[in-house]
Formats: sequence, C-alpha cells, structure tokens
Amino acid sequence: MPIEIADAAQPRLAKGVRLQTDSATGKSVLLFPEGIVELNETAQEILSRCNGRTFNEIVRALAEEYDSDVAALAADVRETLTDLHQRKLIELT
Amino acid sequence: MTPPRPYALLAELTYRCPLHCPYCSNPAVASAVRSGDRARQPTSALRIAHATAKDGELTTDEWKSVIRDAATLGVLQIGFSGGEPLARRDLAELVHAAREANLYTNLITSGIGFDDDRIGALRDAGLDSVQLSFQSDDADLADEIAGARAHRRKLDVAAKIRAAGIPLSLNFVIHRRNIDRLPEMIELSEMLGAERVELANVQFYGWAFLNRAALLPTQEQVTRAREIAMEAKARLAGKIDIFYVLPDYYETRPKPCLNGWGQRYLTVNPIGDVLPCPTASSAIPDLRFENVRRRALDWIWRESESFNRFRGTSWMPEPCRSCPQNEIDFGGCRCQAALLTGNAANTDPVCTLSQNRARVDAVLRDINASTPKAFGADWTYRVNPKTLKS
Repeated sequence: MPIEIADAAQPRLAKGVRLQTDSATGKSVLLFPEGIVELNETAQEILSRCNGRTFNEIVRALAEEYDSDVAALAADVRETLTDLHQRKLIELT
Repeated sequence: MTPPRPYALLAELTYRCPLHCPYCSNPAVASAVRSGDRARQPTSALRIAHATAKDGELTTDEWKSVIRDAATLGVLQIGFSGGEPLARRDLAELVHAAREANLYTNLITSGIGFDDDRIGALRDAGLDSVQLSFQSDDADLADEIAGARAHRRKLDVAAKIRAAGIPLSLNFVIHRRNIDRLPEMIELSEMLGAERVELANVQFYGWAFLNRAALLPTQEQVTRAREIAMEAKARLAGKIDIFYVLPDYYETRPKPCLNGWGQRYLTVNPIGDVLPCPTASSAIPDLRFENVRRRALDWIWRESESFNRFRGTSWMPEPCRSCPQNEIDFGGCRCQAALLTGNAANTDPVCTLSQNRARVDAVLRDINASTPKAFGADWTYRVNPKTLKS
C-alpha cells in the first residue's frame, strides 16, 4: 500500500540515488544500483526542489513559478512523489 | 538503422579471483572439463581465460580511456566486476575516473580483499554502491561452494560497507545445493541491513553450464523458493527490495536478454575485448570480438560485426521473425541458443514456441527424475587464470 505523503514531509533522494543530466539527451535521469529512470519534466522540476523543503513548500514554490492552482498542483506532486517513493527512489523525513 | 546509445558498461577488470565457485560465468577452461561432458570448449575461451593473468590485463591508463570513451558514447552507469575486481590495486583510481566522467559506479564483489583502508579509499573515490555476493547463509556450506574460506570475512565486510555509509545490495547465488535455505538467507539479509537483495538462481553459462547436473534445482525446489521469496518480498516491502530470479530453464518464454543485443549494454573484458554480453566470448565461439587496444570503442559499438550480428529483429529466424513478442523478448538469450542448439541465431530454446524446447525439457526431466542422493552430485570448481609461459 502506498503511504500518504504528509504536507510537512521532506522528500529527498533515497540513499544511493543520483539525479543528473543525461548529456546524450539533455534530459534528467535518476541513477541507482542496476537501474536508470528517465524523468519527465514534471518529475524533474519536483525533484530538483527536494532539497530539504517540505511537501507544502515544494508545491508553493512550483505554484509561484508556474502561476498555477495550488490544489491541482498538490495532487500532481503527490502522485509523482508517491510513485517515486514506492520505487524507493525517494525517502521521506 | 542508427545504432542506439549504450547506457551501461560492465568493466570486467580481471578474471583473477580468490573464490572458485562452480557456477562462475567467466569463460571456463578446457582442462577442467570432465570426460563425458558434452560441453563444447571454444579455444577462444581457453585463450582468454589463460591470457588474463595479470600480464595480459588492460593497464590503469587503458581502463581510464575506456571509461571516458564509454561516457562519451552515452554510458551512464559502470559496474566494476571480474573475477574479483578488488584484485586490481588501482580500483579506487578507476572509480574516481568513472565519477569524473559522471558515471554511476557499482562494485560487484565477493568482498574478499576489502579491508578498512580500501573501503575508505573507494568511498572517498565516490563509489555509489556495492553488490556483495554470498554463497549461502551457512558458513560451512558457503565455503564449500566457494572452494575457499570466505563466508565469515564477507559478514565482516558487509558490516564495514554499511558503517562506511555505502548502499549495499546482496546477491545470493541460488542452486540445487542451497535453494532450500532461502528463509535463512533472507534472515541474514535482514540482519546485515541490506537495501536490496537478489535471490538469483544460477543461469547456465560458463562454469555453470559444465556443472549443470549438480546445480540445476528441481521443479519442487524452484516452486517452493518462489513462494518463500514472494512472501518475504511482501513482508519486507519498504525495508528491503527483494528480487527472485528463476532459472531460465523453468520459464516458458525467454527473458528479454540485455534488452536486446547491442541496445543498452556493453562489456569490456580484462584483456580489452568488447562484448555485447559477458558470456558471449565462451558461448558463441564463431563471433569475433574487437579489442580496445586496436579499435575505438565508438566504432566497435556502432560498426563492428559482433555488435551488429543480432541487433534489431532482421536477423531473426522463425518463430521469432513473425512473433508479436519479438520486440518484447528480442528472441531471448543468444548464448543460451548457442550452448543448447549449437547456433546462436536460433530462438532461445527456453521458449515453448522454439523447435528446440525439447532439449530443455530433456534436461529438466533428468534433473527431476534423479533421486535425492544426486544432491551431492560432483561439480568442478572454477580454476583461476595463470600466466602462460610462452
């Protein structure tokens, strides 16, 4: 069962996971033992803000930057982070 | 057809190893073949295994240029493997070079040769993760399988890797002699605090192909092991990632081997031969491999005959050619086709649509008809490369 990500949770890349740019495509990728995940733009924008910010702060930062609706954005961000969490690519503190 | 770009490089730094596991995927040496074995022994494998004592190996500088060239080609990940990669004193230097090239670095090791200094040096060089192999949870059985006293040192090494903060995966190599100990192996993984555990049945290439009669588990063993692994996977979700890998022979459709030949992976062996697959040099004797000492890696990946032979789908015979699965499983494993049918271009005989599936079934019938006393069937230990006196 996926766990609900709390507003105050601080998502971070899991231990052993690296976020970097794939110079062959210019896209962002997550690298981890025995695996590579190519990120879509949304996931990349979210993950680049997972640097100690809480879930709420990440949503607010994105809403400001893209001038979008906070509630709708929060749902998207939660969905993306839940997926990454289930794949053990991020951890929550 | 434009060749794709590779994602991962397997760097087989050396075939030297302190262990002698009878399932090693390194090329088997002809002198170890027992009479009565029908395994074909390509002379190239013999040459490679013997030429790969220290003198024949790529130098530090040669490996560094392989690493840089691979990164330029698009590689994002490097696995340092062997043999035992810790047998190379320049390992930390090579890890550093890989990190400088922005590669994700994984060390695939038996753990033997890992002392405090080396763990520190590798961590400082930027090593991203370690995959540590285990032969069993039980020291006596593990040491018997490895042909060396290794198990207790591995336990110590696992603790030290954890203490150094390096992510740790465990790889339990499963076969007929140890598959019934899966619950104990899972328990050990929990105790060692691993993030990821592979319970991987031996696949039959290299030494394992020679020792198949002693290593292939029974249907009953495989079924029970899968249940145990699935139960543990559910129970430990969120704590340890558990992967259970079935022996190909018990599958009915082939694995998507390498995600397609020459699509994502390349291997450079200790003497610099570039292989689409690490077992291809011994399994497919009629393939000629290019060497980084004579050719640019970029050319080898894009243009060489060995990388293009089974690229895409146009090489496929029936039933693969018209099969809707052919871009899902890519016809399976070329090495398995070569070893079991004598022709690497055949459909992987694991597939029930293959006209050669009967060969796999015959092997399974023999294994499943044998009595429990055959559990002690002999195997031949892997012998290590020596310098040839020429």
